[in-house]
Amino acid sequence: MIRLTVNGRLETASVPAGLTLLELLRDRFHLTGTKEGCGIGECGACTVLLDGLPVASCLVLAVEADGRTVETIEGEAIGGELSKLQKAFLEAGAVQCGFCTPGMIMSARGLLRRNPRPSDDEIVEAMSGNLCRCTGYEAILDAVRRAVEHDPSPSAPRHAHSPPQKEDRRA
Amino acid sequence: MLGRFDYVSPATLDDAVRRLGPGVAILAGGTDLLVDLRAGRASPSLLVDIKHVDVLQRLEVSSARGIAVGAAVSLSRLVDTLRALGLASGLAEAASAIATVQLRHRATAVGNLCNASPAADLAPILLVLDAQVAVTGPRGERVLPLDGFFVGAKRTCLAADEIVTEIRIPKLDVDLRSAFRKQQRLRGHDLAVASAAAAFSASDGLLRVAIGSCAPTPLLLPPLRVGRSPEASVDEVVALASQSISPISDARSSAAYRAAVVPVLVRRAVLDVLKEGGRPSTP
Repeated sequence: MIRLTVNGRLETASVPAGLTLLELLRDRFHLTGTKEGCGIGECGACTVLLDGLPVASCLVLAVEADGRTVETIEGEAIGGELSKLQKAFLEAGAVQCGFCTPGMIMSARGLLRRNPRPSDDEIVEAMSGNLCRCTGYEAILDAVRRAVEHDPSPSAPRHAHSPPQKEDRRA
Repeated sequence: MLGRFDYVSPATLDDAVRRLGPGVAILAGGTDLLVDLRAGRASPSLLVDIKHVDVLQRLEVSSARGIAVGAAVSLSRLVDTLRALGLASGLAEAASAIATVQLRHRATAVGNLCNASPAADLAPILLVLDAQVAVTGPRGERVLPLDGFFVGAKRTCLAADEIVTEIRIPKLDVDLRSAFRKQQRLRGHDLAVASAAAAFSASDGLLRVAIGSCAPTPLLLPPLRVGRSPEASVDEVVALASQSISPISDARSSAAYRAAVVPVLVRRAVLDVLKEGGRPSTP
């Protein structure tokens, strides 16, 4: 049995060792915003935050998330209100087919959490692990720049939550 | 699902080592292992997750005591620490050239070595920094030079019941300069077509060069004493690099291109470490 916090909610699950975090989120918790693209850590579509850091959830076992905090795209909007980051993606026209967008937004969220005022180079670096086959990237980078301008302090965690009691485990 | 296997996450090194053996895979970052599990290239019966072993989370970086990187230390933690302290810039450069942000938050430096890819980005730079690997098994600990750790493509000298606990760089001279150059097909996430690392310390006057992706194992050239004419030393080491490699053609490059690009990468890395001022130039 594993216990983890997902978007501020404590969840428990009984999982086989071979289940990935991505499968846990999509198939058990029905959080299907997180996408599977390549399944081998190259495309970024499955990006979620694990203890605040962007990771490829296709390359994390569900059991490895035991005692930890996971944030997905479903945690961005609160009460139906899109986050400033999501609004920036809409305003910049940074979405076409939308398949890469949840991963893009989680990568951007991870960047802004660690670094609320990123330079342009830092934005490009943070988003370079996410592939998009539609937009040509410029609109996506514009969206992140826009989110930085709109929100001088986007670094605060969006959910007040108390993670399960376990000692600090750095990955 | 990535297959059927058991999973344990021991809290002590003793407990972890006791579980090692044939059919057992060590899980650190998992960024290579999970890809192999998915493809069916690995089918272990047990995964031993080492991230909860405290001693393997050790990361020490100091000009006085050198560098120690525990087996569970992620690449992003290593890069952040090296950059914050301004030490071993070549190592920071190589570690940040691996894969993507997402993968560097999981992947470990020790895992990069243990996977033993001929293209492992950390191997050339750690070779020129005279790194050692600390290995623990049922018979205790042994410390060996990294040169000799790789015995073939994807093969190391580790026994099935041994684990690399730490990478150590015992000596980090204040005037030691290091540089890393990687040629890849595209900007962003790609394995190296070829890579080169160089290190130079004015105190012993020795220039060290290593090359990646151009032989079954990463290749360390014999150290070269830099004399009155650094230009001659550069030419000498570039020629030696060209003679020493045995590149093949594969999905990423032709052998001919590798042979052509290695002298360029070596020259650039060597010029970086030999020139005054210490700021690496852009490629």
